[in-house]
Amino acid sequence: MNDFSVEAKGLTKYFGAFRAVDQVSLEVPTGSIYGVLGPNGAGKTTSLRMMLGIVDPDAGESRLLGGHSPQTVRHRVGYLPEERGLYPGMKAREAIAFMGALRGLDWAEGRHRAASFMSELGLERVIDEKIRKMSKGMAQMVQLIGSIVHAPDLIVLDEPFSGLDPVNQERLEMLVRRERDRGATILFSTHVMAHAERLCDRIAIIARSARRFEGTVDAARALLPMQVRYTPRTDDPALAQMLPAGAERRGEAWQFPIENDAVEPLLARITASGHGVAGLSIVRPALHDAFVHIVRQVDAGFDADPEADAIEESEA
Amino acid sequence: MTPFLRNILVVARRDFLSIVATPTFLLFLFAPLFMIGMGALGGFGASQLADSARGTGRVVAVVGPGDVEPLREADARLRDALPGGKPATLELRVATSGVDPVTIAQEKGRDTYAVMIGPLASPRIVEREANSRSGRYLALLATEVLRARAAGSIAPAAPRFESLTRGGTSIAAQQSIGFGAVFVIFLLTLLLAGQSVGMLAEEKGNKVIEILAAAVPLESVFLGKLIGLLGVAILFIAFWMAMAAGAGFVALTQIDPASVAQAGASAPQLAVAPATGWPFFILAAFLYFVMAFLLLGAVFLGVGAQAATVREIQMLSLPITIFQVAMLSLSSAAANAPGSRLATIAQLIPFSSPLAMAARAATDDAKAVHLLALGWQAIWVALVVYLSVRLFRSGVLSGRRDWRFWKRTKDVAADTASRR
Ligand SMILES: Nc1ncnc2c1ncn2[C@@H]1O[C@H](COP(=O)(O)OP(=O)(O)O)[C@@H](O)[C@H]1O
Ligand SMILES: [Mg+2]
Repeated sequence: MNDFSVEAKGLTKYFGAFRAVDQVSLEVPTGSIYGVLGPNGAGKTTSLRMMLGIVDPDAGESRLLGGHSPQTVRHRVGYLPEERGLYPGMKAREAIAFMGALRGLDWAEGRHRAASFMSELGLERVIDEKIRKMSKGMAQMVQLIGSIVHAPDLIVLDEPFSGLDPVNQERLEMLVRRERDRGATILFSTHVMAHAERLCDRIAIIARSARRFEGTVDAARALLPMQVRYTPRTDDPALAQMLPAGAERRGEAWQFPIENDAVEPLLARITASGHGVAGLSIVRPALHDAFVHIVRQVDAGFDADPEADAIEESEA
Repeated sequence: MTPFLRNILVVARRDFLSIVATPTFLLFLFAPLFMIGMGALGGFGASQLADSARGTGRVVAVVGPGDVEPLREADARLRDALPGGKPATLELRVATSGVDPVTIAQEKGRDTYAVMIGPLASPRIVEREANSRSGRYLALLATEVLRARAAGSIAPAAPRFESLTRGGTSIAAQQSIGFGAVFVIFLLTLLLAGQSVGMLAEEKGNKVIEILAAAVPLESVFLGKLIGLLGVAILFIAFWMAMAAGAGFVALTQIDPASVAQAGASAPQLAVAPATGWPFFILAAFLYFVMAFLLLGAVFLGVGAQAATVREIQMLSLPITIFQVAMLSLSSAAANAPGSRLATIAQLIPFSSPLAMAARAATDDAKAVHLLALGWQAIWVALVVYLSVRLFRSGVLSGRRDWRFWKRTKDVAADTASRR
């Protein structure tokens, strides 16, 4: 027994000659909310599918919930695929109970939980409505409930927020947190940083088929220097010499990045200079910036390496 | 219940309900009505034709006035004792001068098979076809009259008839029971199991396949779909059996008791029984139907799972149907030659085995061999399902380019395009 709900090692998948996933390893601590971030086509979905044993990897292996093969712990796992799909002729309550039954949940219990989940998420009006009569977002919420109705220990959601309105996104975040509090581990993929930033204990960034970063959200943000925004009281052009080289003037304010250990010296210099402080903020960049930074770097590396690019081109 | 079985049942339940709870199912259920209707119409027409033909067919004897009555009596005696089809009606005419048998034979409005003219000892017989039964029959009548005349009157034998009530079913009757079983099982499997070819197309179309593939082993998805469809098939058969039984019952109450008693008199004819006895035979035939259904359904399902489009599905189902018809002819040949090497081969080949073994249950009273055969066929059902799943996994789940299911989403394609 160990404390990881997902342990994937060296997962690799080829589609023809194109390496869609390259040596991706992932360790998701039990009881955490873990985000897999990456641009479109990075290989997130394929990685998740391999982790769950839906697609066989060409290399590497995946263990779930303390060293079990994915096939043996199906009833303890919940999965929302990226390609949403439900039987259109089924009623919502039945669809949820059906998905629960597939994972070993008793039918009656499934119907019961379906109703309470749906009323809680503001869907009580459509509990006995057929799926085909629902809006896409509603159906997606139904499918989401279906993937967690059996109270799984590991919940894997592929792009769960896409296609939901802000209210439902909010509800989904609430649901994810509550499932974590229940003791479940949640692994989800997304390319929208805001959710990851709010929810995730740890993240992995996948770009161009490989894992490019792994760690906490703060660690990712720490990859970029902090941003300073300084507004002096006096308007003196000589001020620029006191500031680091990259400083730019934006209206009244100056903006520039700053390394961790340069903060206090800067403050000392500002105080000593006598230009005064009308406004000063020193903030970590958002996850968004860190993400864009990492992905740009990877892309730049690929553009410099025409051979790797050629493979990508021929497949695209 | 093991999880594997439970998974199968969950899938089967969904499929069964989704098929049965649609208006189209009613159409499906009542489809045989059209068949029965057409059949009845055709049968009615055919029997009309046969009736009118029977009324007009005749043989004619043109003889001296003294021979007319003896001939009529001889005809009455012999007609019913002859095995096979009854001879055509005998028409007797008193000879007048100048009658021409050929003219009589060609008279309009009636089918004349043979005409006999002249003295009974040396008649001239004009027949439509050389060596026809009708010609022989006329000759036989003449001989009979001559013999009776020569021998004087003999008291006819006074036999006491006793009927064998049981155990006397002839091999031929059993063979036709066997053949009937082969044909019925074939027809039912072909009509019902063929439905499975498009079953996975639904999941591929609405993307549910990924939910299924993630939640349960694909083997149980395939088996569950087969069993769901089998449930539909059994419902279908049970419905029509109930209809038939109901119709029979209504018919019985409509008929007055006398004619029921009369029908009872002909019951011995109904007492043909398969070698293993009716209850065992019906059970065996049902089980063989299930096996044939599962085998054929598994093949159709596996092939259909490979198809990417509806057109492909339709194209692919033709070869399977032809294969199945080949298996039918093999098994019916086997049914007509029980115990032969051909029969053994047909019983061993897994796809003809259910048909051939059902036929065997009609002619051979060994029972244990059926357990063996059912086991053998079950192994093959498992094998076909296993292979279909392997193919499906390696094709669809490894993401061949042309598979809709794993097709890249549009935004991915757009994204890659914009990056260039
Ligand atoms: N079935 C498939 N056949 C061929 N290529 C595929 C298939 N599925 C995905 N790909 C390719 O693999 C790459 C990764 O896809 P995917 O895992 O869906 O990315 P993401 O989920 O990160 O958007 C993409 O370039 C995509 O084109
Ligand atoms: Mg994806």
